[in-house]
Amino acid sequence: MALFERNDDQFRPDVGSQALSVIAIENDFVEGVYHKLAKVYDVLFGPILHPGRLLALRRMRIRPGDRVLEVGVGTGINTSLYPYTCQVTGIDLSASMLEKARQRVARKGLRHVRLVEMDAARMTFADDSFDIVYASYLVNCVSDPIGVVREMRRVCRPGGKIVILNHFRSANRVLSRLDRALSPLTVHLGFKSDLDLPGFLAQAGLRPVSIEKVSVSRLWSLVICVKE
Amino acid sequence: MPVDAELLDILACPNCKTPVKLVKNDTALKCDQCHRVYPIKDDIPVMLIDEATVEQD
Repeated sequence: MALFERNDDQFRPDVGSQALSVIAIENDFVEGVYHKLAKVYDVLFGPILHPGRLLALRRMRIRPGDRVLEVGVGTGINTSLYPYTCQVTGIDLSASMLEKARQRVARKGLRHVRLVEMDAARMTFADDSFDIVYASYLVNCVSDPIGVVREMRRVCRPGGKIVILNHFRSANRVLSRLDRALSPLTVHLGFKSDLDLPGFLAQAGLRPVSIEKVSVSRLWSLVICVKE
Repeated sequence: MPVDAELLDILACPNCKTPVKLVKNDTALKCDQCHRVYPIKDDIPVMLIDEATVEQD
């Protein structure tokens, strides 16, 4: 379990069934938060989250013709990073965030990007529709993170990549307690700070091929899985 | 930009999981099975059951 940078006592046998967070949130709540955040999201979260976005795009190794699904495309902040030779579909549950994305895509003339309003836990795509399925800073913002990742896996073709960029609960004992304590507060900024990575992956049935910490702060992890 | 053919190929009704087709001068997507019509707002298909209307032929 070297991938997880965790001590054995922290990686408990009930990893497949333990609670992933102290916080439970509903879709309506998430929509409400992101409706308020839509106008300020890029200013508030843009720069600090950018190094992770760049690393994720590099690690994806997108090839010409690849069909990429971005789950939780938000304001479309990633859309201008994709090469023109791939085909990008971005989905989000928040109409307010998608409107920002639509404006960005139109302004930048990104003809290889299209947007759909959809619930990530109940996607309406056929199985195996995409070569790469990517979620940046999403899985700790949704009411059903396991449901979302199961859907990501379903719509990814066998051999395709599932790429997750996110903050997970720290493996460090002190920081882990801090993540847990802060989670009821950070949820009002649109995310849970205490999502447990090993439990999350086990419950989602994913086996990562790599996990790496992002940027100097190491607050975020880039998890890459290949669908078997 | 209207909904392109490749996107249409992989989109399905969230209720029935069956294919949808463009209707109303390409301003909506319809499922022939449950007769739900999903609006396309500002070129963005809204594939949410709560946002759909049921319209018989």
